[in-house]
Amino acid sequence: MPTELRLHVDQHVRYIQSLDTRKGELEYWLTEHLRLNGLYWGLTALHLLGHGDALPRHEVLDFVFSCMHDNGGFGAAPGHDAHMLYTVSAVQILATLDAFDELEARVSGGRQEIGQYIAALQDLETGTFAGDEWGETDTRFLYGAFNALSLMGLLHMVDVDKAVAHVQRCANFDGGYGTSPGAESHSGQIFTCLGALTIAGRLDGVDQDKLGAWLSERQLKNGGLNGRPEKKEDVCYSWWVMSSLAMLNKLHWIDGTKLATFILQCQDPELGGLADRPGDMVDVFHTVFGIAGLSLLKYPGLEEVDPV
Amino acid sequence: MASHGVPRTAAAAVRSEEARQKELHQIEAYKELVELVNTKIAERQYTLEVLASVTTLLNQNPEYYTIWNHRRRILGALMQTPATKGEGSGGEDLLLDDLQLTFSLLRKYPKCYWIWNHRNWILRTAEKSTDLDRAHHLWSGELQLVGKMLQADSRNFHAWDYRRFVVAQLERLDSSRISASEQVDPTVVKWLESEFEYTTKMIKTNLSNFSAWHNRGRIIPLLLSRQGADDRTRRHLLDEELKLISTAINTDPFDQSIWYYHQYLMSTISPGCPQHRRIALDLTNHDRQKYYEHEMEYINEILEDETDCKWIYEGLLDLAASYLEVDGGTKAFTTRDMRSWLEQLERLDPLRCGRWRDLRQKLNI
Ligand SMILES: [Zn+2]
Repeated sequence: MPTELRLHVDQHVRYIQSLDTRKGELEYWLTEHLRLNGLYWGLTALHLLGHGDALPRHEVLDFVFSCMHDNGGFGAAPGHDAHMLYTVSAVQILATLDAFDELEARVSGGRQEIGQYIAALQDLETGTFAGDEWGETDTRFLYGAFNALSLMGLLHMVDVDKAVAHVQRCANFDGGYGTSPGAESHSGQIFTCLGALTIAGRLDGVDQDKLGAWLSERQLKNGGLNGRPEKKEDVCYSWWVMSSLAMLNKLHWIDGTKLATFILQCQDPELGGLADRPGDMVDVFHTVFGIAGLSLLKYPGLEEVDPV
Repeated sequence: MASHGVPRTAAAAVRSEEARQKELHQIEAYKELVELVNTKIAERQYTLEVLASVTTLLNQNPEYYTIWNHRRRILGALMQTPATKGEGSGGEDLLLDDLQLTFSLLRKYPKCYWIWNHRNWILRTAEKSTDLDRAHHLWSGELQLVGKMLQADSRNFHAWDYRRFVVAQLERLDSSRISASEQVDPTVVKWLESEFEYTTKMIKTNLSNFSAWHNRGRIIPLLLSRQGADDRTRRHLLDEELKLISTAINTDPFDQSIWYYHQYLMSTISPGCPQHRRIALDLTNHDRQKYYEHEMEYINEILEDETDCKWIYEGLLDLAASYLEVDGGTKAFTTRDMRSWLEQLERLDPLRCGRWRDLRQKLNI
């Protein structure tokens, strides 16, 4: 681990706590469509930092339930339409806070309802998943569905084999995966596809050496990771790339110390939070993925994160 | 909440009282607009007037996905009702307006999923209420849009995804025109041929554009099978591609994109390559050895001028492993060569030393 830099835990905790007090900034209102994701990212970062109780549990749950629709889906904030992305964040928050009992207490049969909402978004012909009733499909949604359903113990509600076959059709010659069959390999999509295959226990069809090699080439001289060949480094790929390498047991194929140094350089040491690159504006998205990256690297003092 | 490339100093600058007041006013105006749209939608007021407010709101915040849903609700309702006098907007005019709106928004926010989605919906909806020629015209217009988007950012994966989708729609429209009895249809092949040419153009502009190389590799087997290409044509194309990539490697051996395309071509030669992804279908192991030998030969030549390019050593090791796989023995190289290539990789690329350690074990050298 780098010695000249350190993780500014207290600043990050304060930064995350401050996120809901920024109502005097236009940005706060313009990002309402990410509120539930943001809450999940903030909560996860706090858990990894060992300050899981820094956000008031009851208020968090009240907010989550206020985003729930009658059809079992969740929107980004009250009044926003239901969508897979937010439904997954909601389930992840409930799992993090161990709050499925509270869900049942507030909405009887709630888990089942959420499961039905997700299951209905599977395309039974191709096995993939849509994000909502408007029909956009993407391997991100497939992974989200698997993740949420497995957290609720409801994976049997969907056709797992068909979904796995769809993921396998998204594989490219370089071992990577794209948004759909024929699409270019991309670190974010590799994470979602490997994550789905890991949940399904079906890593057998993955070209692990080729994919591991491709993933390891994401590391650039400055230690940071990029998302595709010949692109710039970015802290959020610390998570997509490294969790993928972890699922393949190949974390040692990149230089962890150099990556940790890069991530630590992306901190705002005074006001907390992490940015995409050193010196840039921080946000909660890069904060959680940077900290989760450090956790995979076994940075001292952080809770261990599950790569899936 | 997820910003990229915004410098911290500019954003964190202390705001004057005046600026703070201005921002509060902006917030008020924005919240009022949101409130207005949501109220009207809750009342199911699917009118042109509300549509205009929705446009204003989306111009301020195209990431607000619920508002795009509202927009489709309004458009769906307006298209059901016959155009009233004075307003004069037929269904297609409305949809054409949305093509304009999404175009100008995409120029500003080229990576926003929701805008791409909405455009996709507009096209699919417009197609339903028009004839084949008109549909064809609409979809082929999309190629121009994507062309512009890729001119601005030649790696934008939304644009590449959409491009593949548009081409698939054009092929679908064309094949619905021909009778089922025809085996090979020239008009349907035409789209893939022009897409192949498009990747040539993009690669010539910028050799590093892996998105273009990727699409090229995806198109080739499809194109050959659509054309019903014979063995000679297939071999010819393989040889042409190998020539192209060897020129590219000679031009810039430090570019990853080029080596990935080289890897791709080699993967199509491998005996393990599934039939539908092959370029040449009639390769014997002897042919394969010849190909591998040829590649190793010219790559070895570059080594004379470029001793510090790790991709060369990796390429040689990959080729050696493939060569061994097709029982080539070590006629073209020795175990000592392999060992020295691996040593060079360890020297030049310490970031990935764990990978080289594993490789040494795997190759058992
Ligand atoms: Zn990022």
